[in-house]
Amino acid sequence: MYSHYEFVTGPFAWMAFLIFIFGSIYRFYSLYKLARKKDGAVFEYMDLKFALRSIGHWLTPFGSRSMKLNPSMTVVTFLFHISLFLVPIFVFGHVVLWKENFDISWFTLPNIVADIMTLIVICSCAFFLWRRIKLPEVRYLTTVGDYVILLIVAAPFITGFWAYHQFPGFAAITIIHIISGEIMLIAIPFTKLFHMFTFPFTRGYIGSEFGGIRMAKDW
Amino acid sequence: MNYSSAKPKKLFLNCIISAMKSIVPKGIFLTSLFLIISGTAFSNDCYTINGESLEDNTNTRPFVCFPHDEHNENAGLDDNCARCHHVYTDGQLMPDESSEDSSCSECHMSQEKPNDLDLIVRYHKLCRSCHLEEKKGPITCGECHKKP
Repeated sequence: MYSHYEFVTGPFAWMAFLIFIFGSIYRFYSLYKLARKKDGAVFEYMDLKFALRSIGHWLTPFGSRSMKLNPSMTVVTFLFHISLFLVPIFVFGHVVLWKENFDISWFTLPNIVADIMTLIVICSCAFFLWRRIKLPEVRYLTTVGDYVILLIVAAPFITGFWAYHQFPGFAAITIIHIISGEIMLIAIPFTKLFHMFTFPFTRGYIGSEFGGIRMAKDW
Repeated sequence: MNYSSAKPKKLFLNCIISAMKSIVPKGIFLTSLFLIISGTAFSNDCYTINGESLEDNTNTRPFVCFPHDEHNENAGLDDNCARCHHVYTDGQLMPDESSEDSSCSECHMSQEKPNDLDLIVRYHKLCRSCHLEEKKGPITCGECHKKP
């Protein structure tokens, strides 16, 4: 228990953060090189105004036709992404670790808010799982990797909820919680979770092409 | 270390005490406080580490119930108060001095802009580093910050 704790909060934590940071830089670099080599037009068509217009519409709930056609998915995905982003960064138990290790701190969420947001993430993952299994058009596109990614995303929140509420075995679950968060960090650069960094560029390009060349809306 | 005697379940006492402080004359307040403390001190050996300087806000975990005497007996610390109640002068540990008469916050929250987190972090580091070193005692959040 003690040596496991020291490993997951020491060397493994450093490794996870380094892979996350340098893996992301590497992925950006390799995607840029690939686009330069195979699709130089991307850089010609990119237009800041049309890019921001498209990103703005897609960051607004019900701001696109697709979102209006799938209202349940729209509500779930917005609540999911907001909670997924805010809870790990602003929950008190995490901020205190930044303070301990790097002597920096910031605003924290009230426990009840973090608790509800954690439940939102867990329930959203269940919704996404149901959707992948039940909707034929989604199942057709689903690979085993998609289920693994859902598990990678849900695990830190399930174990975090367990540890916070001190359900049986919470001490060991806390260590699994740390590992699961580190696995998620490591997975980000090398899986479709990387869309957290690439979405402004993919959305921005589509917006540029539709706005500047096709003269059409892309939302 | 700065503690008040109260079970976690009786944390509401702290609120009552704060409220009383504002409305009851000091002498009467201290007498009643003494009665409350002596009443609870005999019924349990659990010190709630709230440091008085820490705010019980809605973002933090429950205050820690620290069984001081039981802990020191288990840890074999009977004569070594300074293991926790240390004294630093100009950044140097004074091995022959101890500080059980002063509160942790006197040193650890004395900066220009005191912050609850500064003191919380000190508790975490002091307790956990020793527990990891000795491979005994709680290390994860919920093992100390028990839900009432």
